[in-house]
Amino acid sequence: MQKIAPITKLALTIFVTIWSIVLQSLPALTALIVCQLILLAIAKVGSSVYKGIASLFIFAAILAGMQYAINHDILLAAITASKMIAMTLVFFILLATTRMQDLSAALVLQCHIPYEYAFMLTAALRFIPDFLAESKAIQEAQACRGYSPQGNVLQRFFSYMAVIKPLVLKAVTKSETMALSLELRGFGSRKTRSFKNNVTLALQDYAMLLSMILFTSYLVIQIY
Amino acid sequence: MPAIALQNFSYAYNHPKKVLDNITISIEKGSFSVILGPSGAGKTTLCLAVAGAVPHYFGGSSAGKVYVTGIHTQESSMQQLALTVGTVLQDYETQLVTMTVEEEVAFSLENLGIAPEEITQRVEEVLAKVGLTGYEKQAVTDLSGGQKQRLVLASVLATNPKILVLDEPTSALDPEGTHSLYKLLSDLNQEHGITILVVEHDIATVLPYADQFILLENGQLILNDTPENVLSFMAKKQIFAEAIPPLWQLKLMIEELTTRQFPPWHTEEEAITQLGKVLEEEARKNA
Repeated sequence: MQKIAPITKLALTIFVTIWSIVLQSLPALTALIVCQLILLAIAKVGSSVYKGIASLFIFAAILAGMQYAINHDILLAAITASKMIAMTLVFFILLATTRMQDLSAALVLQCHIPYEYAFMLTAALRFIPDFLAESKAIQEAQACRGYSPQGNVLQRFFSYMAVIKPLVLKAVTKSETMALSLELRGFGSRKTRSFKNNVTLALQDYAMLLSMILFTSYLVIQIY
Repeated sequence: MPAIALQNFSYAYNHPKKVLDNITISIEKGSFSVILGPSGAGKTTLCLAVAGAVPHYFGGSSAGKVYVTGIHTQESSMQQLALTVGTVLQDYETQLVTMTVEEEVAFSLENLGIAPEEITQRVEEVLAKVGLTGYEKQAVTDLSGGQKQRLVLASVLATNPKILVLDEPTSALDPEGTHSLYKLLSDLNQEHGITILVVEHDIATVLPYADQFILLENGQLILNDTPENVLSFMAKKQIFAEAIPPLWQLKLMIEELTTRQFPPWHTEEEAITQLGKVLEEEARKNA
């Protein structure tokens, strides 16, 4: 999967989403989920991805349980949960097998999205670990000063403001520093920005895109 | 032509409070200069003025001129200046914006529209220069503080700047990381002729490498001279005297109390050698 061009994987994401909406039978949706799991296995993704998928299955089971409690229709609950799993799994495939720089290169070069917007995607993902570490540090610092959320949900929410406020202020400061550093590195200085990685389509990409189009056409013909 | 020249430069983020007041400095090509001074002296603003961020990015009011390799910074853009001046900010971690080491270095070159083949070659070269060969695919978040600092340095070196400006680069590093970074900066200065301008509070760490100290206080230039002259001046006038390294405090005290004059002590080893000689002489006299 790593050798497939990012734009093909983006197309796969869109097509799988369409298939998940169109397909209404539990065996078909299960087959779609199994196919995606096989793709992940072929891609040899890390264990953290499987942990995320396990959480997804648990969340889908809870969702199915809630739906069953409301409608008392076990098939509908299973189909809804399967649709959600099928739609979400494809994002795991996309994000686990595509480098963010390649994805932004594909968005800019092939989808003609301005680089500033594509860059926001990579920058946001880059700063998630920093943001979590910052949040932990602030919680520890506030705990040293007696912060201990107690009471009902509303009270806990308001007491959590002691963490949120400094976190937001720090994030704003960081974003200002980042903006300055980007300027100092010549960001946005040239209209013809280059990309180190090659994201052009190869033969296997065309084959995959053709298969996806044919399958979608088949599904549409079957339905109408 | 000096690498950096400030001519009667004054700057205020919010008029009329001046952060830099009538600064005139000349920094020669290939020098290793250190900006010293207490908090609020204007050290960071001086660095930003050289990089062009002051006044291009921050606005404010300014007077006088700043020249970088003969380019008048106010008549140039920050992006153009970035080709000449590589800047490492105090919060260096925020300067790292991509996921992996090689992507980070490539980012600077992609901004300039350099061809992919050349980017690959330059990434390899610059990572070797900062000692990060083999870390190409490593996630930025998995690097140590010292490695991140080296990576930031690599990302600015990738564009082949003639001047490197670093604002307190070792503030978050351990002593080993600090020594290693300054050794690297010294190599870049000596072997590649890159002019270094650095803000540093720990004078002892830069003494082995620096050839020029710039002392600021309250936005004014107090002295711009050799390290030994600036340290002697700081001790004599009691300006930012608390920052004088303990060994230099000892040296200056001995010189004041006796007629003995020592050559400059750049390292602890030099101090130990010279003090050892003095003690031997004293012991011989007493015997």
